[in-house]
Amino acid sequence: MESLFVQQAVNGIIVGSVYSLIAIGLTMIFGVMRISNFAHGDYSMLGAYAAVFVLGFFPGWLGWVGSILAAAAGVGIIGLMSERLLFRPLLDRWTDIDIIMVSVGLFLLLENLAQLLFGAMPRMITDPFRGATLNLGLFSTSVLRLFCLCFSCVAIALLQLFLSRTRLGIAIRATSQNRFAALLMGVDTAMVYALTFSVGVALAGIGGVLYGTLFAVFPTMGAMPTLKAFAVTIMGGMGSIRGAIFGGFILGIAETLGGNYISMNYKNAIGFVIIILVLLIRPSGLFGKKEGA
Amino acid sequence: MRLLRTTNLTRYFGGLCAVNDVNFELASGEIVGLIGPNGAGKTTLINLLSGVFPPSSGSIIFRDHEISRLKAHQINSLGIARTFQVVRVFKKLTVLDNVLAAAVDRRRLGPWGLVARAILGHGGAGETWDHDEADRLLEFVGLASYRGELAENLPYALSKRLEIARALATKPTLLLLDEPSSGLNPSELNGQIEIIRRINGQGVTILIIEHVMKVIMNISQRIIVLHYGEKIAEGSPKEIYQDPQVVEAYLGGEAHAEH
Amino acid sequence: MSPRSYTRLKWALGAAALIALPLVVRDRYFLHLLVTAGIFVLLASSWNLLAGYAGQLNLGHAAFYGIGAYTSAILATKLGITPWLGLFAGGIVAALFGLMLGVPSLRLSGPYLAITTIGFSEILRLVAMNWVELTRGSLGLYGIPSFTPIRLGSWLQIEFRAEISSYYLLLVLVCMSLAIFQRLATSEFGLSLQSIREDETGAASIGVNISGYKLAVFTISAFFAGLAGAFFAHYQRLVSPDTLSLGETFTILTMTMLGGLGTLVGPVVGAVLLTFLSEGLRFVEDMVRLDVRMIIYGVLLIVTILFMRGGIVGLWNSLRTESRAEN
Repeated sequence: MESLFVQQAVNGIIVGSVYSLIAIGLTMIFGVMRISNFAHGDYSMLGAYAAVFVLGFFPGWLGWVGSILAAAAGVGIIGLMSERLLFRPLLDRWTDIDIIMVSVGLFLLLENLAQLLFGAMPRMITDPFRGATLNLGLFSTSVLRLFCLCFSCVAIALLQLFLSRTRLGIAIRATSQNRFAALLMGVDTAMVYALTFSVGVALAGIGGVLYGTLFAVFPTMGAMPTLKAFAVTIMGGMGSIRGAIFGGFILGIAETLGGNYISMNYKNAIGFVIIILVLLIRPSGLFGKKEGA
Repeated sequence: MRLLRTTNLTRYFGGLCAVNDVNFELASGEIVGLIGPNGAGKTTLINLLSGVFPPSSGSIIFRDHEISRLKAHQINSLGIARTFQVVRVFKKLTVLDNVLAAAVDRRRLGPWGLVARAILGHGGAGETWDHDEADRLLEFVGLASYRGELAENLPYALSKRLEIARALATKPTLLLLDEPSSGLNPSELNGQIEIIRRINGQGVTILIIEHVMKVIMNISQRIIVLHYGEKIAEGSPKEIYQDPQVVEAYLGGEAHAEH
Repeated sequence: MSPRSYTRLKWALGAAALIALPLVVRDRYFLHLLVTAGIFVLLASSWNLLAGYAGQLNLGHAAFYGIGAYTSAILATKLGITPWLGLFAGGIVAALFGLMLGVPSLRLSGPYLAITTIGFSEILRLVAMNWVELTRGSLGLYGIPSFTPIRLGSWLQIEFRAEISSYYLLLVLVCMSLAIFQRLATSEFGLSLQSIREDETGAASIGVNISGYKLAVFTISAFFAGLAGAFFAHYQRLVSPDTLSLGETFTILTMTMLGGLGTLVGPVVGAVLLTFLSEGLRFVEDMVRLDVRMIIYGVLLIVTILFMRGGIVGLWNSLRTESRAEN
């Protein structure tokens, strides 16, 4: 029983790292632009399909790595376009309902467009390591899954570096803390918005490739990551990247363990239960600022 | 007759003490001014009196009721109405609807009562439904010609008047005005003073926060001065004007400069 | 003719048309479309009361629909309770869940409320899928009895097997519901809801009991959605967890936004329009062999928000005021 627990916990950490990655994008976008994007997971979906596409040309693990980069770039560009065309015009007359509705519309559009273009059949991202596994006594895992974990962590670390060491990154953080002050300090908020959104969804795109690797790639795969990303950001505090990181891992572990020991059927409900509990008990989340709810 | 009394009224925000052990009284029919430098806790005090949030400690007694733990809408039903420093009119509603919403008699009927009334065919747009009362109030503040206009289209000064009309529609005994003159130009100020006087003339007690000395000095019978959350002075306008503590609180300049 | 009589005439003609319609157009499929549109009118209008008038962003409305459907279906199939009672019961049970969902709305707003309502809806859908003893899981409940015939004396009996009687029943339900919505929206209650939507603090300062009104509107909104669900259960005679899906909610949303959020006529226009539009799309889909309906919904939603915020009704109104201004 012991090793099963550890095994499941490790699985949870791996899945959790992907959740964190996707959630970071969501929380960044919310923190800077106050946009709750209900289509966030669909950018993950697009990233996953981009990977499938690239892997069609360049199989093997090099192709897999390349597909991650391609997904990031491709989804980033799509994000840039959506920000300019859809969300930017709304920021002036911003109301919750407007932005959420537009993102719902985007969700419907992307999901069903993907279904149209790619077909409803799930695709698999073939394991570039040919099923190689690693056995570490207490638990075993496939090399591929380990790579996923590594990639998530690397991406998260790179993002942290970007936000703390580069000028653009600092500008983003400044804008998320105080929009007006940042504006007064000469920060080009329009550029910050565009950058934040693109980086945010690019992260989702990378997360999508990993998610698709761990599970499968199909047009409606975006909904779950969206809701889980929301669960994570609410748990960690909307706008808090640290919170998203912690929250992601917590959700991953909670889901895997809960799915195993409580019920497989209600596994996906765990995220929702967490959302409801957190919002009722401590709406600002673990690390959030008080202005949350 | 004593209308309101606060005793040891205190409010903390985290470690910051915004209102510190404030004691004062309001007598029925008075116009009392509340002044103090920015950050002195004036709006916090109004928020405490109107029930936006509860005090950390202390009590507020209004007409023999302890109201410090009551919610905002309950306090309004007891007879306290207020305006806001930054105007909070109902933007997408017409000027008339803003006042009508406030004119609904909520002392007798709660939400389900109004649901029943609606389904039974009363209280609807077709009925006279206090239109007369609402129109009278709009007339009173000079907004009669804007009746059908959306509140968001009103110029700032007029939306401040709309808030006053709206507050009056709830038939208060005590009216709390939070900087009603901010953003008004000198000609509008006179109109404002006139309106406040007339409201008081109808028997409504008024507590008014103001920075514009012309207004405060002109209409207040009594002034209370807050500084860093504490009451540092209280008295007639003349007394306050000459109080060295008050002058110093304003960094020795503002009070004189306005005149 | 005076304006008053003119309006009365318009209403009378409209009512006559609706009553005569199924007698003139005898196509059963067309009637089915009308019934579907009618159900969506109920759903969109009830959602509109909550989101348009009270400003509460509920993205779990389909859950009320599904609860109403399942309640009535279960009562009928397992306890043999007559559908006429089930109709009412569906509404009541849904109303109770509405009250429950109203509680988080007291502390949450905007995206936080939205995500909570989605969570609520999804949890219920999972329950419907997994509590097999009660709901038969993904298979759903079938063989739900249709409305029992009404006997008026010994010479008249109204059966409910054919679409046509269901249509008339729904017509009665929709008319009654719309009348109630109209009264609620244009009353003191409706104005109070709008004040909450506009500014909660301001509303509280004029005596509006925010909590009380929010709970009330959630309950009422859920009741009518549940009513629609219960009707659906005995009309379609088959209920599955799909009735609780987000897709259903998003359809309701799109209809209301397209028609005009916060207006009385908007949801009606949106519901009827989109129901028939999606039928028209089905022909296109058959021809082109592509499923474009949801894509169109998505595009419509986006376009409406960006360019036509008030929906069709809003557009109509602004065109009317413009032409009036010119005259």
